[in-house]
Amino acid sequence: MTENETSVVMLGPRDRLIGELYIEGNLRVSGTLEGQIEATGDVDVTEAATVKATVAGREVNVSGQVNGAVTASKKLVIGRSGSIVGDVRVPRLIMQDGASLSGNVSMGPKVAAEFAQAAAAEAAAPVEVAAAPQSATDGETAQEKPKPKKR
Amino acid sequence: MDTQHAVADTAPLEAHEDGVESRRDGSNKITLGPGDFLEGKLTYNGHVSVQGQGQAQGEFRITGNFEVGNGATVKALIEGSNVTIKGDVEGMLTARDKLTLGKSAKLNGDVTVKRLQIEDGASFNGHVRMGSFEQSSGS
Repeated sequence: MTENETSVVMLGPRDRLIGELYIEGNLRVSGTLEGQIEATGDVDVTEAATVKATVAGREVNVSGQVNGAVTASKKLVIGRSGSIVGDVRVPRLIMQDGASLSGNVSMGPKVAAEFAQAAAAEAAAPVEVAAAPQSATDGETAQEKPKPKKR
Repeated sequence: MDTQHAVADTAPLEAHEDGVESRRDGSNKITLGPGDFLEGKLTYNGHVSVQGQGQAQGEFRITGNFEVGNGATVKALIEGSNVTIKGDVEGMLTARDKLTLGKSAKLNGDVTVKRLQIEDGASFNGHVRMGSFEQSSGS
């Protein structure tokens, strides 16, 4: 969509993010993440990661622990060491043997059509993409600024 | 609920065409093929397989594996060890061991499983509960 979509955000095993994150690009999490994340690109949750957040991305790969709703506009892959506790909304879902999932699953052509519609709406109004990436920010509690945590 | 057994007893053991066969290893198997239709409540000590354009409706509690082939349609409460779905299934499902959704599978309903594997292309709508089985035989 945009030229800066190639950006990649990596959170290492000792990194921690608490709050809200929106990125135009890909995200790779190996650390701790709490709050709300949205990426226009792919989201990778590695084995070492602990995520307590709603996760939204294009292609989402989960090999670690995720506690929260997961939305993928293209597909979701839950690896054999992956675990999701939360509702899942994806057009395509691949779950490897050994993976764990607890929650509601909504998928199929209907969900795919919804995502296509949303993408079309975004394409029709490109100005709004940057202005209102998170129109549904009803979770006011997750508004804390991501300031460095003191011990 | 033993009507299927009765059929099995009257049919020759090697009558695969009838969809009922008894194997030498003692594991029983019911196979529903194209044009076959099963409706009702079945409690069965063995495996059940619905293939082709076969259809099944009702309540199936079996000790063995339950298989729904490509093109088959099942609307039922299903309880089995390993449940493999490649066709169309609607209803509550319990897999004491593993539930596998093949690439052509369509499943609508809540599932309780120990293990779950979903292949790319499968479609699933419903709630997933994984792990404990304290009430699997209670209801």
